[in-house]
Order: sequence, then structure tokens, then C-alpha cells
Amino acid sequence: MSDWNALSDEDFRKEVRAFFENEFPEEYKFLPRRMRWHECRDWYLKLSKKGWIAPNWPREHGGMGLTPAKLLIYYEETERAGVGRMPDQGLTMVGPTLIRFGNDAQRAYFLPKIIAGEAIWCQGYSEPNAGSDLASLRTEAVPDGDDYVINGSKIWTSMAHDATHIYVLARTDKAAKKKQEGISFFLVDMKTPGITLRTIRNIAGHEEFCQVFFDNVRTPKHNLVGELHKGWTIAKGLLGFERLNIGSPRRPLQAMEKLETLAQARGLMADPAFVERLTQLQLDLADLGSLYRRYVDKVRRGEALGPDVSMLKVWSMDTYQRLSELLIEAAGEYGAVEGEVAIGGENVDVLSPFYNSRPGTIYGGSNEIQRNILAKYVLNLPS
Amino acid sequence: MNEHGMDHGALLAQSVGDFVQHGADLPRVRALAQGRAEFDAAQWRQLAELGWLGVLVPESCGGLGLGLAEAAIVAEGLGRALTPEPYTAVAVLAARTLEGAAASPLREELLAGLAAGSRLPVLAWQEQPDDFGGLQLATTAMPFEGGFRVSGEKSFVVGAAAADGYVVSALAGGELQLLWIPRDAGGCSTAAQPLADGRSYGRLALRDVVVPREHLLASGAAARAALDRALDHAATVTAAELCGVMKRAHEMSLDYMKTRVQFGKPIGSFQALQHRAVDLHIQQELADAVLREVVAELDAGPDPAARARAASRAKSRCAEAALAITRAAIQFHGAIGFTEDCDVGLYAKRAMTLSAWLGNGRAHRARYARLSAPAAREAA
Repeated sequence: MSDWNALSDEDFRKEVRAFFENEFPEEYKFLPRRMRWHECRDWYLKLSKKGWIAPNWPREHGGMGLTPAKLLIYYEETERAGVGRMPDQGLTMVGPTLIRFGNDAQRAYFLPKIIAGEAIWCQGYSEPNAGSDLASLRTEAVPDGDDYVINGSKIWTSMAHDATHIYVLARTDKAAKKKQEGISFFLVDMKTPGITLRTIRNIAGHEEFCQVFFDNVRTPKHNLVGELHKGWTIAKGLLGFERLNIGSPRRPLQAMEKLETLAQARGLMADPAFVERLTQLQLDLADLGSLYRRYVDKVRRGEALGPDVSMLKVWSMDTYQRLSELLIEAAGEYGAVEGEVAIGGENVDVLSPFYNSRPGTIYGGSNEIQRNILAKYVLNLPS
Repeated sequence: MNEHGMDHGALLAQSVGDFVQHGADLPRVRALAQGRAEFDAAQWRQLAELGWLGVLVPESCGGLGLGLAEAAIVAEGLGRALTPEPYTAVAVLAARTLEGAAASPLREELLAGLAAGSRLPVLAWQEQPDDFGGLQLATTAMPFEGGFRVSGEKSFVVGAAAADGYVVSALAGGELQLLWIPRDAGGCSTAAQPLADGRSYGRLALRDVVVPREHLLASGAAARAALDRALDHAATVTAAELCGVMKRAHEMSLDYMKTRVQFGKPIGSFQALQHRAVDLHIQQELADAVLREVVAELDAGPDPAARARAASRAKSRCAEAALAITRAAIQFHGAIGFTEDCDVGLYAKRAMTLSAWLGNGRAHRARYARLSAPAAREAA
């Protein structure tokens, strides 16, 4: 396996760019929604075979072990080439969690399956009555012989209909004094009897998420991650990763590319009022990159992410939404047209960034919840 | 390295830390508005003794020969303390320009004196507002045997109140020249234009000032390169000073929100204020992250286009964040924030003057757009 970090940034960028541009299937480039597993399976396996599927994981576990600078280049080139978002919970969430909180047996069993594309993961966190107030979750896991038996329901579970596995937060101690105590973190095979799904259409009309029902679902005790009743700590550790991931500039970058293309095509660069707003957003995005690299550097140094990482999510998603809104405005009357439209010789899907940027301020703890967290734990303001 | 095994950078960070810990002399800053001098010779000597004035001056001229990273540490500390002395104008803008000038006895003398605190050169490069780079140049230097005769007007000269002379930009035969003009040169007069924070801009009137040939510091492309680099570096260090201003002001707001009680609770417990304070904190951290990256980028010696883009990114973010934070500080403090006695007003005014100098946020956004709109992606 090559040492990618030994390459110069320029050489690494060239190599990644050439591969993404030439190898990612044309028909899925710039897809205005997440890719389904049947659409991205070949690509996933191709990346896996090349050793490129987990750029953020250490090399000992099959990742590329990229430095922050290289990781950013990798993500930038993903965006530039229009590589679609795959069901990536195993790569972004489960892998890093097992590496940090799991045991050797769990790592040995699950990590290679993620790399090989044999295990596709989804996240069992939110419940119908536990959204922003996640710690009030009621799905329950009760020990029985060698298993835990899970009952309850999870909702807004992205790509659950493509997943082979789900990681679940469930209550294991109802008598705990604080609601954050007495929650545990489980790994569950989606083929286990008792799991049923209901798909939910999102605002753009795509079947992107599901409600998952657990009716006496048995998962072996060795699928408990970390200590019993300490799942909240792991979830919080994961939320750190998740906020870092959500806070990456790569999704807003894609909207910026569309906006710049549209602005050129419509001659808007001659309008000083538009250019001022565009430049403000370009700087907001460039400066997001600076803030993002600060946190990526921390992660790479092995430091835990504190509650302050929430600010990255707030700024990133706020910037993404403002970008998507200027895109619609820049399109004029076309800003009302669904799907791709030809404007000045360019095909642009004006509305997809608008739809795609909506959930970012809601999931993973809404931006308002992030501000509460920052006020309490970073600014130490009274409650 | 000194005898304790610490390098200059570490020593510097330590001395800035001590300085900041010692706190700001805010009564003095407040008294500037009542006519107290913006320049204190004893304070300036102290800055020289600490080595801060010579951070960027080459070691061969008695300076520390360090980079913008260290100059930014100093400037942020001085910003926190609202120190009115013209650190950035002299130790960055003038020092960098002189450093870029051709070797001459005058250059060495000015740089050594600048680092020691015995000479106080400032740059007089600007004539029109919103003209970063000083391209709208009307001042002329008419050559004659033995020197030049310089005529023109200069504005926005920070540090003029205490300067002992000026590095003046002028045109001779269509070429940019940088010339040294002592403050007391015949035909050179300096008027003060008071600023919101009690400091002043100098306005220079130059009428047939006779400048000997030895006072020519740089000419043509070399002069342009020295000036452009110095301006980008000074704008970046001003951004660092703004970081110091905004951080202290936001601390004051947060402290006040924790202690001020209304409706039976500290006002900091109200979600409307919490979210506002958080959004400003995000601006502060963005400014800090951008500044640190830009300083490192500039210290690596990029090409002029990349340098200019980076400097504009830092100045625009830091200026806008400092203005937002200090203005909100007035609001968070309520009616008391609107009084002369309240310290947050001093921070708001300093944020205003530092934002306006060397191009405000809007000007640097426009410059960033001109330089590199398509390349903005690469920076993210």
C-alpha cells in the first residue's frame, strides 16, 4: 500500500482527481440525492479494492491514514467530481467508534466487513418522542441469557432500507437518576427477527429514511459496545465525529460550484450587488475551511473533540443553507423549476441544494440545540 | 536561544502573556478623548526593551528576525490591552517596507533605530480612501541634481503623532519611489485628524520638500514589491490586533451576562441572549482560525497573488467580527453600555478605527473578489 502522505499535496490531488473523474460512473455524477446501495455498490467495492474506501481511518485498520491536509483534498476532489454520497455510516461513524470504544473482537469482526462493503450501517438514535431531547429515548434493552432483547422504535433512520446493520441507543437502566445514565450502545443485525421498516419520503420526494420497529429483537451480549449503561458517553463521542463530518466544507462546496457556474452562465458577475453577496459566501466557505482544519488537526493528534465542535456544525450548515438560497435567487424564474434546467448552456439542478441543506440544521442535534450546548458548556452561561 | 534555552518566539509569547495579564490601562485610553497624548514615550521604550518593536527587524539590524506569527502574538496582546501606541504602523508596516528597501546606511540606521525605539519611522503611502496599494498616487518627486523635490498630500497616516519621519511614496518619471522625509524637513507639515478612539490620523502636506539622493529607499518594481508586501503583512497583523480587541470585549459581555440580574435571573440565562452570544463566539473563533492560517501562509512566503488574497480574507473576517462583537457588547450591557464610563465603548471605538484602517471588511471582500473569485474554492 502506498504512503499517500509522502506525496506532495499537488501530486496527491492529481492522483485523486484523475481517479474520481475517470472511474466514478458518469450517470451518477452530481446526483441530487443520496445514492442507494444498488447504485453505489460497484463504486464502493472499487474504492475498497484500491484501499481508498476509508480515507479517515488509520492504516492498521484498512484506512488510508491521511493527514488532515490530504483528507481535505480527498473530500474536495470527491465534491469536484460529483461523487455521490453512499450509505456511509459504517465508514464515518461505526468504524471510528469501534476503533475508539470497541474491543478487539468487535474491531476484528466488524471493521473488515465495513471495508469490504459486507456490512452497511444505519443509525438508531432518534425516536418519535426523542428528537432534540435524545436522552429521553424509550427503546429498551433487557438482558435474557446470552442476549439483550430490544423493544421500541427508531425514526429518521437514513438509508435503513439499504442497511445490513444498525447501531442502537437503548435504555438498560430505567431506575437511573439522570436520563443520560442507563443508556447503552448496541450493534444489531438488520436480519434479526422482529425488525420491521416503514419508509418515509422526504420533502424532495425521495425515500431517504425510515422508521425502524423493534419487536423482541435479540442481539448477542458481545454486541454491546463499551460498558453497560455508558452508551451516552459513546454517543457523545460519536456526535463529536458526526459534527466534524457535518461540519466539513465539502457539501457546501458542491453548492458553491453550482452557484459559480450559474452566475457565469447568467452573466451575474457583472452585477456588483450579486458579486458582493457571492464573495461574502465564498469567504464564509473559505473561513469554514480554516475552522474545519483546526478540528481535523485535533482529531489527527488524537485529542477528543469537546463541545466547542458544535460551532463547526452551526456555521457549516448555516453557510450551506445561505448558499442554496442565493442559488435559487440567482436562477431568477428558474428558481421555481423542479429538476435540472438548461440555463445559458449549463444544466443546473437549482433546487436540490436547497432540499439537501435543510436537514443539516435539524439532524445530529438541531442548530438551536448546538447553540444551547455552546452557551452552557463553552461560554459557561447560567441556565 | 538565550541562556535559559528558550528561543525568541517562546520568550516573546511569555512576555506578551505577562503584559496581557497585567491588564489594560483603560483610564489612560479613556483620557485620549480629553486630549491626553496617544503616544507615551515610556511605554514605547518598554515595548522596545521587550524586543517587540524589533520582532520583524533582521537580526543584522538589531531585531529578532522573527515572522508574522510572532508579530501577531504581540499585536493581539496589545489589542486586548487597547494600547494606543502605533505598534503595527511602525513595527510591521514601516519595518517591512524598510526591510524590502535596497541596502543603504539610511535603511540600516532606520531599522536599527526602529527596533531600539530611538527612531520612529511611519509610512505615508495613501492619498485616497479605499485605495489599498496606493495606486491613486498624485505626489511627485521631481529629480534634480543631488536629489528630489517632493510635493503632494498624504492621508490616513497612523502613528504620525509621534513619528520622527515618513517613508513617502511618490512618482518620478511615472515610476514609484519610496523616499525618507524627516518630520522637520522644510515644506513638510503634519496635521492631526482625530479618530473615534482618541488616536489620530496624520495628514501630511508636502510642498517642494527637498530630499537628498541618499534618502531614496527604493524605486520602481522593487518599491512596489516592498510596499505591497508590507501592506498585506500590516493588514494581517491589524487583523490580529482586532482579534485581541474582540476577545476581550466578548469576555466582558459574558461576564456581565453572568452577573447582571433582571426578572430575578442572570440575563445570561435567557436563550435569546445566549444564542446571540454563541453566534458572536462563532465569529470570533472563525476569525481566530482564519488569522492563524493566514499568518502561517504569509510566513511561508507565498506568491504575491496568494498573499494578497490571504491577507484580505483575514482582514475582512476579523474586522467584521470585531465590529459585530463590540457593537453587541454595547447592547448586552444595556444603558450602561452607552455611557462614557463603560469600558465596552472603548473596545467598540478601537474596533472601528482598526477596521477602517488599511481597508475595511467591504474593501477587502471586493479585493478578494477581484483577485480570486474562482479560486475561493481552493481555500476552503
